Parts: sequence; C-alpha cells; structure tokens
Amino acid sequence: MSHQSTSYYVNRRQQNWSRNQNTTRYVSAIKLGPVAHTVLVALMIIVLGLIYVTQATRTTGYDYEMQKIDSQIADYDQQKSELEIENTRLTALETVKNSSVAKEMTASTDTQYVQQ
Amino acid sequence: MKPSFLRHGSRSRILAAVILGIAAIFVFRLFYLQVIQHDHYVSLAEEEQVKPYTLPAKRGEIYAMNGNSPVKMVLNETVYTVFVDPANITDSSKVIDIMKKVAGGNVRDGFEELVKKNKTRYQVIANKVTRVQADKIKAAELRGIGFQAVSQRVYPEQTLASQVLGFVDTEGAGKYGLEGFENEALKGTDGRLETVTDVSNIPLTIGNRNIREPAKDGKNIVMSLDRNIQSHTEQALAAGLQRTGATEGSVLVMNPNNGQVLAMANFPTYNPGEYFKVQDAAAFNNGTISDPYEPGSDVKTFTMATGIDKGVVKASDTFNNTDSIKVEDRTIGNATKGKTGVISFQTALTFSLNTGFVTVAQRLGDGKSINRTARETMYEYFHDRFRLGERTGIELSNEARGILISPDDADGNAVRYSNMSFGQGLDATMVQVSGGFSAMINGGTYYKPTIIAGEMVDGEYKKAANVDPLQTGVVAQSTSDQMREMMQTARASSFGRTDKQGYNIGGKTGTSQVIKNGQYSDNETIGTYLGYGGAETPEYVIMVSVSGDKKELQGARDALPIFTDISNWMLDYLKIQPKG
Repeated sequence: MSHQSTSYYVNRRQQNWSRNQNTTRYVSAIKLGPVAHTVLVALMIIVLGLIYVTQATRTTGYDYEMQKIDSQIADYDQQKSELEIENTRLTALETVKNSSVAKEMTASTDTQYVQQ
Repeated sequence: MKPSFLRHGSRSRILAAVILGIAAIFVFRLFYLQVIQHDHYVSLAEEEQVKPYTLPAKRGEIYAMNGNSPVKMVLNETVYTVFVDPANITDSSKVIDIMKKVAGGNVRDGFEELVKKNKTRYQVIANKVTRVQADKIKAAELRGIGFQAVSQRVYPEQTLASQVLGFVDTEGAGKYGLEGFENEALKGTDGRLETVTDVSNIPLTIGNRNIREPAKDGKNIVMSLDRNIQSHTEQALAAGLQRTGATEGSVLVMNPNNGQVLAMANFPTYNPGEYFKVQDAAAFNNGTISDPYEPGSDVKTFTMATGIDKGVVKASDTFNNTDSIKVEDRTIGNATKGKTGVISFQTALTFSLNTGFVTVAQRLGDGKSINRTARETMYEYFHDRFRLGERTGIELSNEARGILISPDDADGNAVRYSNMSFGQGLDATMVQVSGGFSAMINGGTYYKPTIIAGEMVDGEYKKAANVDPLQTGVVAQSTSDQMREMMQTARASSFGRTDKQGYNIGGKTGTSQVIKNGQYSDNETIGTYLGYGGAETPEYVIMVSVSGDKKELQGARDALPIFTDISNWMLDYLKIQPKG
C-alpha cells in the first residue's frame, strides 16, 4: 500500500500554518469503483434494516413478557377465587352448624332487657 | 416469409423482445395482484395473522345480608373438562391410572373404554376437575390429554334460599329466581380482542389494527334476604312440615317499612349446584311468588280494613250472627259455629266468621246487598290499593299474576264478591298478600316488594337508594292503627301465650279450600297464617302456608306455630326491645 504526498489544495487555515511548513495532506490512492459503491450502499441498507428489525422485534419480546405476566395474574386470580370459595364454604351456615365448636354450644335462652 | 423483425434483427434482439414480453406479463400480473387485488389479499393475510378472541365477562356474584354486612351466597369457580385424543395416546394404562388416582370422583363412567377408542380423536373423560387436580394430571406429562377451562357457579350454602337464587344452566343462562330475572345484569358483556398472534397464538402488539375492548363484568347483587333469618325460617318450616305431615310449605318474611324481603323459604327444595339431579321441576318454583291460591281468611283483614277506611264499620260495631247469610241464591255459612247473636266485628275476626265479613261487604253498599257500589269499593281497595291480582314486580323469575275479577266482568257479581270478602273467589300470591298487608299495618304506605338491597362495587357495599313508596294513603293511619289492634286482640285471645311478652304481635289465620277439577275439594285444605310483630311499630311481616295432597291443614293448628317460632326468634335476632 502506498501513499502519495501531494499539495494540490491549500486552504486558508493551512496558509496560516506558516510555522508548520512540513504539514502535508495524504490522499488514498485507492479509488472506489461503481460496484464497490453499490455494495457499500447495499451493506449500509442491510445494517440499517437489521437495526430497524431488531428495534421492531424488541416490542415482540415485551409481548411475550406481557403474556407471561398476564398468565401469572390469571393464575393468582384463580388461586384467590379458590381461596374465597373455600372461605365461603367454611363459613357457610351449614358448615358452621355442623362444626365441633357449634355442637358443644348450648341453646340460647330468652333475651332480657334491662330497664334504665 | 419471415416477419421483418426476424429478417432484420439478430437473435439477441428476439431474446430481448421475449424477455421484455415476459417482464411485461410479470409487471401486469404484479399490478393485478398488488394494486387491483390489494384489499382481497390484505384481508386474507389479516384472517391468517389476526386472531379474534372473546374476553369472557365474569358473571356477577350474589350476596345476602348477614346482619348488617353482605356475605357471598353465589360465586364463580373455574373447573376443567378433561378430554383425550385416543389416537395420540401412547400409554393408555398410565392415563387411566393417573385419572383414577387424581380425579377418581370426576371421571365419566366407562372412561377406560373411551381412552382406548383409538380411532376417535376427541373423548371427554372427566368433568369439573379442579385446578389442583388438573395441575397434578399435567405434571404427569401424559400425551394426548387436554384440558378445557369452564366457569361454574358455586352455591356454598347449598339448599339455603335455593328458589330465591335459581341456578345457571350448562349454557351459562340463569334460570329461575334471581339468576333468571337478573340474568342480563349478572352475565355482563364479553370483551373482544383482535390481534396479530405468533404461531403459538400469543397476542403481539405489532400491527396497527389491533382491537381490545375489555369485558364488562356482571353486576354483584346484594339481596335484602338475611341468611340467618332465611336459615331459621327454613328450619322452622321444615320442623312445622314434619309436625303437621304437610308435604309442601312456604314462608315469606318481609320488612313492612320498606318492602324488603328478609326470607323466602319453600319446601320441597333443592341444591342449585346440583339442579340437574332434580326429578320434579316444581321444586324450582318459588311458591311465595309463583303459586297463586285462594288466600282464604287472611283476606278478612283486607275486607275489615276496607270497611273501617270507608267508615262503614268499626271493631266494636255489632251485627246479628246466625251462622249463615244469604247472598242472592246462595247461603254462606261459618266454619266456626255457635257464636250466634249480636256480636262485634272483633269477635267475627277473632273467630274468623264468614258472615261478619259478608256483612262488612254489604255495608260498603246499601247495607243489605253487595251492590255495584260495594263491589267497586272492594275492587278499588283489593286491586288498586292492596294490589292483589297484579304482579308486584319483585326481581325474581316466574312471578304469577293471580286473578281478581273486576265488577265490570260478568263474573264479578255479588256472590263472587261475598266470597271474596272472606278470601274465596280470588287468586293471589303470598308476596301480593304480604305486600298489601304491610301497607295495611304500616300506616298506609305501599312499598314494592323487593329482594335487592344494593350492589357490591370494587368490594364495597353500595346500598340501593331509598325507593319512594309506590302509594301512600292506601288506608288512613287510624285504619291502620285499628287493624293492628284488632289483629293483636284476635291473636292474644287464643294464641298470645306463646308470644314473647312486651311486644305487639298480631295476625290472622286462614284455612283455604283447594279447587280440584273446578270444584272445592272436601278433603284438602291449605293452612296459612299472616301476621306481624314488633314493639311500638311493626318490624316484620310473616306469612306461612302449608299444604299437602289430600291433607286437611288448618291455619291455627298447622301454620300458626311456624309463625310463632319465627316471630319469637326474630324479636331476639333483630334486638327489638319490649315496649315500655
């Protein structure tokens, strides 16, 4: 690989670099042809496309997360509802009446009210 | 001769022309598919990618009162139907073994055979499997077995208030009772989800045509019915039926000051969770609202109230009782004989003498006959004020209307109205009679009988707004006061010793003949008791009815003790302090 030293262009700033007389500007000798340009543009498009696809599918990843969380919520809801049913069954009058505690109880006598 | 382009062109030109032609065909075809057929293919793609789902609404729960706070009476439970694809089962004996161990009580009869039918693709092998059972079966990783979630109603109180609650059938529709009447409000509105899904049918948020309409859950209804009063009422009724030998009975307990029903008991009964086991569909009926009958002597209170309110009679007024009275070509007699001579209307009420109330009906006219004026007055009070013979509008399915013949009808003659004065010749339901009776004793305000006290919103009890009375001035306050005094006197004279002391308890017995094949039966009667209780003001109205095929049941002997049992218990339960 070789580089050519040229001074075909001198801008105003460089003109002021009088202290840096040895400053040079290198220009690559490799020239890109039309095919290389096309390939590079195509590659850029592919890379940008991949970035777009990655970003777009990231939301799909969130969808799976959401689905998982929704499913957990549904499971917890179901467990809660089962516990409520169990609680209601255990506190149902028939269950309470037949409980060992209730069987030990005696019948209440008449209520008496105190006159004030 | 060759065409000019072949003659003058090279083969490459021909090839170019062919390629150009083919390209043109592609272009036209693509234009046709992508532009002209655009909508068609877009819709096909959406059908494939976008899946519609129903978001099921949760059926509303039903609560009853437990004193001052609501408790759940009806809930929802998710259970599973287990099905198999026999063609896919690799180890049928393992499936059978696991199912027997985990869900032995839920498997279908002969499910072992169903599992082995490997030429079929779908067989239901178990129903109503709980989530815990389903998880155990899933853990066994059996091939060819699947689960379908099903929501079912749970009635933890079993038979308690079954005819009031009704049930939900396999299609999810409410039948009978509150479930039937409030089905639309209870079932809610299903939501809708239309979304792009992946191959596993997981909804994705990509696409701009996703639709999500959340489900609107059903209303959680709080009944005015108090489960403790209901339980005691059912207990008292069951004991009463056993004591009397009656096979059917109903009791209604109502708050006369707002029309709220506190209990509605019926026998025979059933468990709404097992409604499919019921042999006779009559068990689903709520007798207090669905079975109109001739109320019998209970209606004498309505006749007396009409007479007092019109100013034609007072409790202390007298008439000459001869134990029979002639109305046109018919002679009407008393069931209780011997109280002849000049007696008061109080005595007529106490001993339930038909002649006394036919006399009241006559006094509503010219004093000698039940003329048109008398009949119109009775109809106005019975139908327009006490609302007999019209549906009350209580929020329960299958309410019957009853029959009250108008004086404009050819059958609305003096004989019919003489019968109506002591409770025959009209059909009314217990809820109608109790509603009218409540208005009579509460000072003259008619409240629409209701079973709904409010609703639960986000776990909080929201009481229904106080409903304005349907009618005020049904009878004057003084009429109401006199009627209560008459009924207290009637009850105290014969049955008062069974009541708790210091309270105002009053009521009227009724023994109604049953019409069989268009004729009054000689060997079958319905016994009823209609009464109220409280200290200074009436706090509850109780109506009891007992009957049975070929049973002669009496109001005083058979229905009244049930009233007394419930009434004495109510005084304690409601913590009503005695007078003074």
